[in-house]
Amino acid sequence: MELAKKQTATQSQKLMVFVLTMSLYGLATLFTELIPKFQAGIVEFSVEYFLFIPLTLAMLFDPLSAALGAATGELVFSEIMLGQFGGLGELEKFLTVTIGVYIAGRMVKDPRNRKMVGLAAITGTGLQLLMGTVVDILKVQFAVEDFEAVAGLPESVFATEGFAFLNDLCFSGILFCLLPTLFLVPKLYGKIEPLLGMRPRDEKTWMGGISWKVVLGAAAAFAVAAGAELLASSGTALVEWEASWAESGTAMAVAMVAAAAVVIVVLAVLKARSGKEQAVRK
Amino acid sequence: MEMKFKKKLSESILDKFSIDFLRNQVLKNAYGNDDTVIAKLDPRVLLVWYLFVGLAPWFVNNLWFLMACFLLVLVTTRLARVAGLVLLLFGVGVFSQTGYLFVVSLLFGGDASTVVPLLILTLKVATCSLASITVFSGLDPDRLSNGLMWYGCPERLSFSISYAYRILPMLMEEFQSILLSFRMRGNPPAHETVRGKVRYLFYQVKVIMHAFYPLMLNTAKRSRTTVEALEIKGYRYAAVNKAVKKIKLSTLKITYNDLLFLAISFFWISLAVLASTLF
Repeated sequence: MELAKKQTATQSQKLMVFVLTMSLYGLATLFTELIPKFQAGIVEFSVEYFLFIPLTLAMLFDPLSAALGAATGELVFSEIMLGQFGGLGELEKFLTVTIGVYIAGRMVKDPRNRKMVGLAAITGTGLQLLMGTVVDILKVQFAVEDFEAVAGLPESVFATEGFAFLNDLCFSGILFCLLPTLFLVPKLYGKIEPLLGMRPRDEKTWMGGISWKVVLGAAAAFAVAAGAELLASSGTALVEWEASWAESGTAMAVAMVAAAAVVIVVLAVLKARSGKEQAVRK
Repeated sequence: MEMKFKKKLSESILDKFSIDFLRNQVLKNAYGNDDTVIAKLDPRVLLVWYLFVGLAPWFVNNLWFLMACFLLVLVTTRLARVAGLVLLLFGVGVFSQTGYLFVVSLLFGGDASTVVPLLILTLKVATCSLASITVFSGLDPDRLSNGLMWYGCPERLSFSISYAYRILPMLMEEFQSILLSFRMRGNPPAHETVRGKVRYLFYQVKVIMHAFYPLMLNTAKRSRTTVEALEIKGYRYAAVNKAVKKIKLSTLKITYNDLLFLAISFFWISLAVLASTLF
């Protein structure tokens, strides 16, 4: 029986895990978005990271649903609800959070084993932060024209991003990801699963360790994430449309303005007419 | 003297940032402005508009064009009457993305020439975020999710948006009451000295972490109820059924106002293009 070996979760249980992670992590990211950051010298004490929530849930339940739920929650609660949606660039955050949480969730065989839980938590966090840092550095290198030519910019980008990575990993990573996960996973184990009508994860029901397939999948997803982010912010024109209208020159632009003006007038007239018709009908 | 002022300032900021205040702002942002010009537009039209204003600036380095886009989204944000907190966050966000970089690049021996590329970067970032503020906080969540669904976004996403807006007030209230009960029973360390302050900070963090334990259990129960209720109504089948989708989306209608909105934006942008070819 292949099915009995895997962690048995039906579709609706997966949806439950999804909803659970989404609402909890969404709430947490909403707070982090709203709470001001404390800066002590150059070290930033931000209540940045509530990644322990999806990490905990991914270790207890189906990792993929939890990972997707976390990423969706962040997208919906803190980006869309607050109007901070960054377009294509959000794909990067979505995918890095998914990868980090999913891998951490797959690593844990028995949630009662504290060593493994801690290792998985810090691996997931570090992975997510590292991917974010790499993409950020690439982004600035592509977005600003003549990156090398601007005095002092390359060094400052490497310095700020590298420092931010270390800062996040040591401060937020340990305080907000490692310790709470270590506290919550054993405590919730065996208590939260029955609420969703599931059996706790153990050696028999876990999904199997990290295979090459997972690693390759994660690498591919990261490539997509980096690509999307760069596409969203690349100054090297992907659509060469600056050149296209710069060459055809003023005539083209005049035509565009004229066309737009005509359309506006026509629409205004049409609207006024339809308004009158409605008034007559009434 | 300065210390006193700082203390006062931080106290008044902390006063403002109570959970109630946050909840009100978020709700106001979501539901408080459905009578604006922007909220009455068709979500599909707005999404197309957003796709242009949000993406085009990244590919163009012409200052005229960027300024025009920026002014356009400034006007639409004003029209959408976005909640103050969101705008504040926007300001902080833009500064932390590029202003911070500028200060550091000065440390590494940059000078005024660093300003121009960074200014362009700032304009791009600001335009895109304001465009998204217009679209995503100007529209009410149900219309937004309908619009996204029309474009074939996964049903999961539009479900998440609708669900998020409804569940959020409840979750916030619950979190607050859990925190309050922890505070009532807790015994916080004295925080007059520096060491005490550090200990107090750790204590607070610990309380927040502990608060998530009951919250997780409660939310697990609630999400099970939600999913079961959805299943009773046949949610998973309805989500992929074309007829259901059609009924859901039948409320969307493009009016003259939508077309006018697009035409005026287009007019403004093409004016900018004209200006950039002339000068």
